Amino acid sequence: MEKAIKKYWPLFVLPTFAAFVIGFIVPFAYGIFLSFCKFTTVVDWKWTGLENYTKIFFVNRKLDTTFLHSLWYTALFTVVTVVIINVVAFTIAMLLTKGIRGTNLFRTVFFLPNLIGGIVLSYIWLMIFNSVLQHFSKTIVSTEWYAFWGMVIVVSWQQIGYMMIIYIAGIQNIPGELIEAARIDGASPAQLLKSVTLPLLMPTITVCTFLSLTNGFKLFDQNLALTGGNPGRLSQLLALNIYDTMYGKTGWEGVGQAKAVIFFILVAVISIIQNRLTTSKEVQQ
Amino acid sequence: MKKQVISVILSAAMAAGMLAGSVVSVSAEATGKVYLLNFKPESDEAWQELAAAYTDETGVEVNVLTAAAGTYSDTLKSEMAKSEAPTIFNIGNTAAAQTWDEYTLDLADSELYSHLTDKSLSIVYNDKVAAVANCYECYGIIYNKTILSDYCTLDGAVVADPSEITSLDTLVAVAEDINSRIDEINDEFGYELTEAFASAGLDDGSSWRFSGHLANMPLYYEFKDDGADLVAGEPEIKGTYLDNYKKVWDMYVGTSAADPKTLNSGALNAEMELGMGEAVFYQNGDWEFAALTNPDNGYLVEAEDLDMMPIYFGVDDENEGLCVGTENYWAVNAKAPQEDIDATLEFLNWVITSDTGREAITDKMGLSAPFDTFTDDFASKNAFAASAAQLMADGKTSVAWSFNATPNVDTWRKDVVTALTAYTDGTGEWDAVVTAFVDGWAEQWKLAEEAAE
Repeated sequence: MEKAIKKYWPLFVLPTFAAFVIGFIVPFAYGIFLSFCKFTTVVDWKWTGLENYTKIFFVNRKLDTTFLHSLWYTALFTVVTVVIINVVAFTIAMLLTKGIRGTNLFRTVFFLPNLIGGIVLSYIWLMIFNSVLQHFSKTIVSTEWYAFWGMVIVVSWQQIGYMMIIYIAGIQNIPGELIEAARIDGASPAQLLKSVTLPLLMPTITVCTFLSLTNGFKLFDQNLALTGGNPGRLSQLLALNIYDTMYGKTGWEGVGQAKAVIFFILVAVISIIQNRLTTSKEVQQ
Repeated sequence: MKKQVISVILSAAMAAGMLAGSVVSVSAEATGKVYLLNFKPESDEAWQELAAAYTDETGVEVNVLTAAAGTYSDTLKSEMAKSEAPTIFNIGNTAAAQTWDEYTLDLADSELYSHLTDKSLSIVYNDKVAAVANCYECYGIIYNKTILSDYCTLDGAVVADPSEITSLDTLVAVAEDINSRIDEINDEFGYELTEAFASAGLDDGSSWRFSGHLANMPLYYEFKDDGADLVAGEPEIKGTYLDNYKKVWDMYVGTSAADPKTLNSGALNAEMELGMGEAVFYQNGDWEFAALTNPDNGYLVEAEDLDMMPIYFGVDDENEGLCVGTENYWAVNAKAPQEDIDATLEFLNWVITSDTGREAITDKMGLSAPFDTFTDDFASKNAFAASAAQLMADGKTSVAWSFNATPNVDTWRKDVVTALTAYTDGTGEWDAVVTAFVDGWAEQWKLAEEAAE
């Protein structure tokens, strides 16, 4: 059997590999190529070199800060959501692994928001926000900060349940005897958390921070449906900014593509760093 | 063994490729095909039926694909990249003609163009007739004739008859008077009026009425002054008539019940306000006729309550008619195979000359078509379109759709709306609107020019 696998592995790999090449490698490489071109349809391009990349920052020879604005706005949004989602999800997971009554019901309820699509969810929240803010003569897009916290609430509400499930799985994986031993040695609950639970949860934390980090950077649906980038373009996260560049201006498809390449590099670098950081803290049981 | 397996797979793949290739070439050699990428989701069904009818009659294959609302340019971009690209597609304005310049066929010698009654309803770009309008629309201020007439019978009403409203000043006076006497009107006639003007929503679903349609007025009068092409525009504008724009906008906001600070909430529904008899005036176009009179919507207004007046702008009110134009132009894909192009032109001609085609356009799609073949039974049944025709017959000049000249439409409008929102909710100054309007125009024009090089 093993011999057969050694012999025929290319055959088994082939379908998946072909799908990966067609569905990922080719579009990806082609996308990078297109970021150096002026194009209307993807098969009809003209090489323009680095022009698209300079147009991201300089429009009509003037510094254009829309991309930089959505860059830091997105970064801030990601930091805030990563912290809120993980802290709250972890806390709920701790509470729901203590064996209180109705644990399963609570888990289901907290997980439910994650089953609703981002667009629908955002439209529902839009109505809620606006009907509340109406009393103060404000809307969710009155300023970029209303929009910011609106998105933070929606995204947190949606993702906390999902991360909670992963944390619960991680917590249940911690061997009972380790905790028991720590207790017998006289560890306080705080010490228990700091020296036993958290170190043993590091693999889970790696996964959850990675997921919430990339989700934060890639956020599109909720941004589009909840704020549409308003007021002006001030609440545009990166993905929406790219989309807006691609379709908002005649002949700017290439610039949108160039932004997408920068976006990719950024997300890749940040998630690699995050992965290194948290993985290095993982311990062997 | 390994090599054998691989070679078998490779030859199978090769054979499959050849097979696929031969299938494609056989079908392409037959007759031409038509592929219409439809712009209006509401007319999808009518187009599908029309396509089937044409195939039954002539055997020519006609595919119709309709892009979901608001996604036409995305869909067009991806469809055009395919080997079987659309042969007929919609372009909305000169800017789109620029984007798709390499794809648009010169329609000057087509029968379609020869049937066009008003040649200004075509897009001429790069010395060719790039696209021909398939319908024309009009917009202005829709008003509830019944309520307005009842108001006129009140003591001290500003006018004695709706027809006396023929200038911006009169309209402002009437709207303000109605708005201040809501309770009196409701008590007297039993209406449930809440405002004179329906809410001026500044959310993305409604703001185009002001950054597009209302902005058309200052653009039109300025282009006219400068002797520029009324729908192609000019690279720089001065904003000569922006004070009038402000006056109209202040009237919309000031005589409406909506809170000026929350106009961008997206919760407002101006169509409903007019339909339910809560508002008297509502700036929009003749496409609203179907929605307002559709019994399924449950509106209180009837067809005979509805009429439309020009957006009086305080410039040339006595001669001004409704704004007549279109954003729906047919362009034919010049990169399609010749037999497909021939089949496409024949199909389009059939649509505007055959009874089946004309009936579908007038009755099922409810459009007013600008071709000389649409007479008698096939003339439009839309009351607003009739008002436009009446005003034209009275010698008024229809206002051209000058906003079709807007460079980088979405970007420019977004900037104007942002400034307008800030001005309206009190966080910004009017000057910012003027800057977005005038400077933004020049800037986007330059960018669009650059992109065209």
